[in-house]
Amino acid sequence: MSDPPSGAPAPALPDGGGKGTERRRDVTVWGSFMWGYADVGADIYVALGLVMAAAQGATSLAFGLAGLVYILIGFGYTELASAYPVAGGGQYFALRGLGDFWGFVAGAALLLDYTIDIALFSVASVGYLNFFWPYLVGHAYVKHPIALGPLTLHDPVLAFEALALIAALIWLNIRGIKESSWFNAILGGVDIATESSIIIFGFLFAWKPSLLAAQWHATMSHFSFHDFAYGSSLAIISFVGLESISQAAQVTRRPATIIPRTSITLIFTVFIFAMAFSTLGLGVMPWQTFRDNIHDPVAVLAHHIPRIGMVAGPFAAFLGVTILAISANSGIMSASRLTFSMSRLRLVTSWLDKVHPRRRTPVRTIVLFSMIGALQVLLSAFTPQILDTLGNLYAFGATLGYILVFISLIKLRFSDPVTPRPYRVPLNLPWTRKDGTRVSLPILGFIGLLGVSMIFFEVVYTHRIGRIAGPTWVLLCLVYYALYRRSQKLPIFGSVPHDWEKEQIEVLTSAEEFDLLEQYKHALAARDRKRT
Amino acid sequence: MGEAAATLTLHPLGILIAGVFALSMGGLMWWMLHPPAEMQASVAKAMHGVSAVHRILVPVRGSSYNERAVELACRLGSDQEAEIIAAYVIEVPLALPLSTPLPAEEKRAQEVLARAREIIEHHGLPARTEVRRERDVARGILRVAQEQDVGMVVLGINPKNLAAGESVGKTTEQLLRKSHIEVIVDMHPEVSEDVSG
Repeated sequence: MSDPPSGAPAPALPDGGGKGTERRRDVTVWGSFMWGYADVGADIYVALGLVMAAAQGATSLAFGLAGLVYILIGFGYTELASAYPVAGGGQYFALRGLGDFWGFVAGAALLLDYTIDIALFSVASVGYLNFFWPYLVGHAYVKHPIALGPLTLHDPVLAFEALALIAALIWLNIRGIKESSWFNAILGGVDIATESSIIIFGFLFAWKPSLLAAQWHATMSHFSFHDFAYGSSLAIISFVGLESISQAAQVTRRPATIIPRTSITLIFTVFIFAMAFSTLGLGVMPWQTFRDNIHDPVAVLAHHIPRIGMVAGPFAAFLGVTILAISANSGIMSASRLTFSMSRLRLVTSWLDKVHPRRRTPVRTIVLFSMIGALQVLLSAFTPQILDTLGNLYAFGATLGYILVFISLIKLRFSDPVTPRPYRVPLNLPWTRKDGTRVSLPILGFIGLLGVSMIFFEVVYTHRIGRIAGPTWVLLCLVYYALYRRSQKLPIFGSVPHDWEKEQIEVLTSAEEFDLLEQYKHALAARDRKRT
Repeated sequence: MGEAAATLTLHPLGILIAGVFALSMGGLMWWMLHPPAEMQASVAKAMHGVSAVHRILVPVRGSSYNERAVELACRLGSDQEAEIIAAYVIEVPLALPLSTPLPAEEKRAQEVLARAREIIEHHGLPARTEVRRERDVARGILRVAQEQDVGMVVLGINPKNLAAGESVGKTTEQLLRKSHIEVIVDMHPEVSEDVSG
């Protein structure tokens, strides 16, 4: 997650570090798009190599299946983010739809992902940095495993580099990092132009359909469901970051108008890139080359394109380093924002919200979640593939969060039909309830729930580490939640009363969505008339 | 890093995919960068003030200007599929009990309301008709409006009265003074009284 793309930079927490809603800005459409792209756009740099290593010649199919589910998830997020343009994303939607307990579970899953964001993207960023190893030291990067008793530190150099990057990010964030908005907007634009150029020139100059077909046939001739399921469940990580849509919605003026456009564009841009890169990759190089270069697959692919490869390879690697470091930083910032939202909703202690008296930065969350990310890097370094291990965990948190978001989407259609939805998930079935209230059943919401549940099943079935570490994290968080709520004399499974209608009016007013505000007021009045 | 392959490979399918990719991305970006214009608070309030009206009352007496008012009400309510209520108020003199049989007036009311219903149904809107006996027409209209939870009254008035220098009429004046809901008065100079039926 990058800084709000406005004229002025923003701290990791909303204004004042303790007020209710963040000041909204004149975010341009491009700026709003870049807010999300800086997060989701980097995923393909990581996912391409991981999915290739697992799904092999069927990588495009793996990306396609995960991508279809992701599109449905994206539709759901777009509907919810434009209807409830507040911070918190999936955690807030789950809390609105399902109550405090499930809101916390979704928050815990997302926090897991944010800490992995820090770890995974730091490792990936320095992985692309190692693309320049031959230019700097004269030979290709090689691992130097170190045996520590019964354990082996498989790639200590990479782990050390990633830890150094995390330390730098902690330092920068505590000091109050001010990423400038125009820098992000330009960097994102350059990245889109570069990725598009790689794809266009790759298909024009280097793509061989016969190689793609041969790899497809080779994989299908000894098809392994386990490997394919593992690959397609990892493919979902190339689409993780939809939370950024709701975070952008929180600081954007007219979110109901802007967010559906930017998020739909974001969803399809990322999907098209994922499909194009996987199809191009299999038509340019054997999948084994990606497996062998799992840390910098996009740069290696760009390097293999005739005529432009000598320049495009290093340039793509440089962009990879930069955009992945920004994504790692987004994990720190998003964790702070999410914790702030959760504490405001009384799901976690407000101790975490304390800001540095001079720097006005949320020191405690920055250090706590970055250290968890660093610990994940360190532990993953004891496994043969750091990236693969972190990807394992990432998919668990994301799919669990998405399941809860889909259930909330469906539930909110029933429990809150009066909130205007400027964007609705397509394909709805109108239905009139006994009390005369008209609701629309989201058919694609049900299909999406089924799809993401299948991917969740794949994650649990195929991810050896994710299926143990993921639930353990959620359980530990739940133990904390139970203790905290008990200490505050709040219900553990029940919910704290909220005046959602008042809050919704405040949110729409601050968002300057006057059209929606009037719709909402009239809908409330009509509902009240009907009740009386 | 793998070794670079410098062999140039041109394939028609690759060229096609590159073209489709470029067009898709260009189209997506163009669509994103052209959102609808911003709406001011006052504009939104005005727009929703009208579209929030889900029941419109039109008093009718069988005149052409009344039927024009029915047509106007239909147009005002068509976007939000408002229910249109056509009401005929029979003014019963104080000298008579309210329940006094007035067969000729009742028959005329039904004929007038049938024509109004036809106009409404022509627009595909939900129609309702009502005959009300009251001592005073304005009071009858206001009572119907209150009982039926009406959001707006559309009233057609006789242009000839105004042309002759008279006021808008006692009923209209009372309605405008006493109504707690929106009242739209329509006066078209070319629509004659032309009482038919």
